[in-house]
Amino acid sequence: MSARAHGAEAISHRSPLKTVAGYTGMVLVLLVIAVPLFWIVITSLKERQDIYVRPAQWFPQPATTANYSDVTTRIPFLDYMRNSIVITGVLSMSKIVLGVLSAYALSLLRFPGRGIVFLVVIAALMVPNQITVISNYALVAQLGWRNTFQGIIIPLAGVAFGTFLMRNQFLNLPTEIIEAARLDGAGPLKLLWRVVLPMSWPTLVAFSLITVVNEWNEYLWPFLMSDDERTAPLPVGLTLLQNNDGVTNWGPVMAGTVLAMLPVLVLFLVLQRQMIKGLTAGAVKS
Amino acid sequence: MNQLTRRGFLGLAGTAGAAGLTACAGTGSPGTGGGGSGSSNTIEFWSNHPGNSKTVEQQIITAFQKENPDLTVKLVDAGKNYEEVAQKFNAALAGGQQPDVIVVSDVTWFNFALNKQLTPLDELLASAGVDTGDYVDALYNDYTFDDGHFALPYSRSTPLFYYNKDLWQKAGLEDRGPKDWDEFKEWSEALKGAVGSDRFALELADGSNYLDWYFQNMAWGYGGAYSQEWTPTFSDPGTVKAGRFLQDLAKSGVVKFNATPEADFSAGLAACILQSTGSLGGISKDATFEVGTAFLPGTDNCPTGGAGVAVPASISDERKANAVKFAEFLTNAQNTVTFTQATGYMPVRKSAVELPEEVSYLEENPNAKTAIDQLPHTRSQDNARVLLPGGGARIGKALDQVAQGQDVAAVFAALDAESQQVFDNQIKSKL
Repeated sequence: MSARAHGAEAISHRSPLKTVAGYTGMVLVLLVIAVPLFWIVITSLKERQDIYVRPAQWFPQPATTANYSDVTTRIPFLDYMRNSIVITGVLSMSKIVLGVLSAYALSLLRFPGRGIVFLVVIAALMVPNQITVISNYALVAQLGWRNTFQGIIIPLAGVAFGTFLMRNQFLNLPTEIIEAARLDGAGPLKLLWRVVLPMSWPTLVAFSLITVVNEWNEYLWPFLMSDDERTAPLPVGLTLLQNNDGVTNWGPVMAGTVLAMLPVLVLFLVLQRQMIKGLTAGAVKS
Repeated sequence: MNQLTRRGFLGLAGTAGAAGLTACAGTGSPGTGGGGSGSSNTIEFWSNHPGNSKTVEQQIITAFQKENPDLTVKLVDAGKNYEEVAQKFNAALAGGQQPDVIVVSDVTWFNFALNKQLTPLDELLASAGVDTGDYVDALYNDYTFDDGHFALPYSRSTPLFYYNKDLWQKAGLEDRGPKDWDEFKEWSEALKGAVGSDRFALELADGSNYLDWYFQNMAWGYGGAYSQEWTPTFSDPGTVKAGRFLQDLAKSGVVKFNATPEADFSAGLAACILQSTGSLGGISKDATFEVGTAFLPGTDNCPTGGAGVAVPASISDERKANAVKFAEFLTNAQNTVTFTQATGYMPVRKSAVELPEEVSYLEENPNAKTAIDQLPHTRSQDNARVLLPGGGARIGKALDQVAQGQDVAAVFAALDAESQQVFDNQIKSKL
C-alpha cells in the first residue's frame, strides 16, 4: 500500500517536460502500430482507382463496401473461414491440453528419466518446422491424408513451446502450497485442477493466446497439405485474391485481411480481461 | 475423486512427450510406387491460376470433361506464385501423391527436367497426334533440353513498353516508343520536365521483382548478354556498357526502382515503365489517362517469360497419356484465346490469331495487339538467368548494387565467377 502511495506522489511531482516526453513517446508508439492497421481498414473501403493516388487519401472518398462483397463472391470466403476455425480450434485445444499435462508431469511429478524427457522436448523446440516439412509431407501423403483436416492438424499438434513455458511457470509456484494440498489428500489430477492451474491462469491465458494467433496465421504446412477450399484455411485462401502475375486489386485483399483479423481481435479482447483478472488474483494472494 | 496411479501418470507423461515430438517425424520411404498411385481416370492439375484465372481454368476443364466423359480433372490451388507451385511439387516428389499436370515457370522447369522429374513430351505428343508446329516457335522451344521438350507453353508473357500518352504529348514527343535506349536517353530530359518534380520519367521493377528479366533487353541492346550457352558473359563489354547505362539513368534521376512500378504508372507518377503483358488488363483499368504500348527499345531483343504446363516423370504411362491430352487441350487454339483474353497473356498457338473472336478482339484492343506483334521479335532468355539455379535472384541482387552506384565492372565480374561456380557445382556433371 505504502509503495503505491509513494508512486502516486512521484507522478504528481514529475516535471512537465518529462510528462510531455512520455506522452510523445506513447503517441509515437501508438502511431507506429495504428497507422498500418488504419491504412488496411481505409483501403478496404476505397474504390479501385483511389488506392494508388498522390497525395494519399486518408479518408475513402467515396467510401464503398463493394470490396467486402467482392471477397465473399470471388472466393469461397466462408469455407475458408470455417476451415480456419476448425483447424485453429482443434489445434489450440490439443496444444493447450498436451502442453499443460506434459508440463505438469515434467515439473511436479517425480519419475525416472524426467530430465531426459524434458531435454528431448526442448530439443524438439530447436528444430524449425520448415526443416521437417518435406519428411512430414512424405509421411502424411503415404497415409493418404493429403487435403484432410487430420493431415493438417496432427503433424502440427506438437507442443514443445507450451511444455517449456508451462513447466517453468509450475516450477515457480510456491512449494508450500503444493505440499499443503498433497497433505490434505489431493490426488495428482485434483492438485492440477484445483491448485496449480488457478495459480497459473495468466501464463495459461498468454500461452493460449499465442497458440491461437499462431495457428490462425499458420501458412506453410496448410498450404502444402490442402488442395482446395475443402480444407484450406484463410491465409491460404486469401492469396487467391492477389494477382500473381500482373496488377493486384488491393481493395478486396485488404477487406479479406480485415475480416480474417476480426475473430482473433475479439478473442484477444475477451481474453485480455481474463489475463488482468488473473494478474490481480495473484497479487492479493502473495 | 478418481485417484490416478503413478504408473498411469508415467504413461500420460510419455504420451505428452511423444506428442511433442510429432513435430519432427521421420521421413516415410519414398519411391515405392508413391508416384504410381492415384486413379488413372482423374487428372490432377496443379496451378497457381496465373493472372487470377481460376474461373477460366475451371471453364476450360468443364469443356474438356464434356469432350472426354470418362476423365475427370481436379483443379488444385497449388500456390500463390510459380515458386510456391514448385515448392509444393518438390514436397510431393519426396514421396507423396503426384499431380498429373503442373504449372512450371521459365525459371522453375529446368531444375526439375535436369533431375529427371519431368517427362519429355515429344513422344507422348507424337502418339497423341498433336501438331507441335502450331505452337509459337520461340515459346515452345524455351522448354528444350537434351533434345526433348519438357513443357507446353501456357501462360506466356513478354515485357512491354507502357507509356503515358498525355505526358508524351506534353513533352512534345511522337506517339511511339523509343527506337532504342539511346533515343530514350535523348527523350529523358523532355520527359522529366513533363512529368514534374518528385516523379520519374521511367520506373523499373527492383532486383527482387524481376529487374533481371527486363534488363536482359538492355544488355542485348548494347550487344551483351548474360551468357552464351553455359558460359557467363557478364563481363562482356556490351553487358558492362548496359550496366553503366542503367547506372547513369539512376544517377541522373531519370529512373526509379520500385517493387510495383505498374501502380505508380497507373497513378501518373511515372511517364513510362517496362512491365509484363500480363499487367495490361490491370493497368488499363486503373489508369485515368490514355495508355500507350510499344515494343521494347531495340530490335529483336525482347525476352520471353511466363509459364508452361509439364507432366511429372514418375507417374504411370496411362496417366501420362491422359495428362498430355489435357495439357494439349488447355493450350489448343480455342482455349489459348479464351485464356489469354481473360488474363492478358499471349496466345501460344500460331493459328489462334486467325480465329474470328481473336481478330475482332485485337481490333478493339490495339494495346493487346502490340504484344502479339512483338512476339516474332522475341528472343529466348539466357541460360545464366533461367536455367542456373537461383539465377534470377542472383542477377537481380547484382543489378540492385549497380543501381546503388557500385562499380559495374567489379559487380559483373563477381557475378561471372559466381555463376560459373554454380554451373560447375550443380549442372555440369548432370549434362
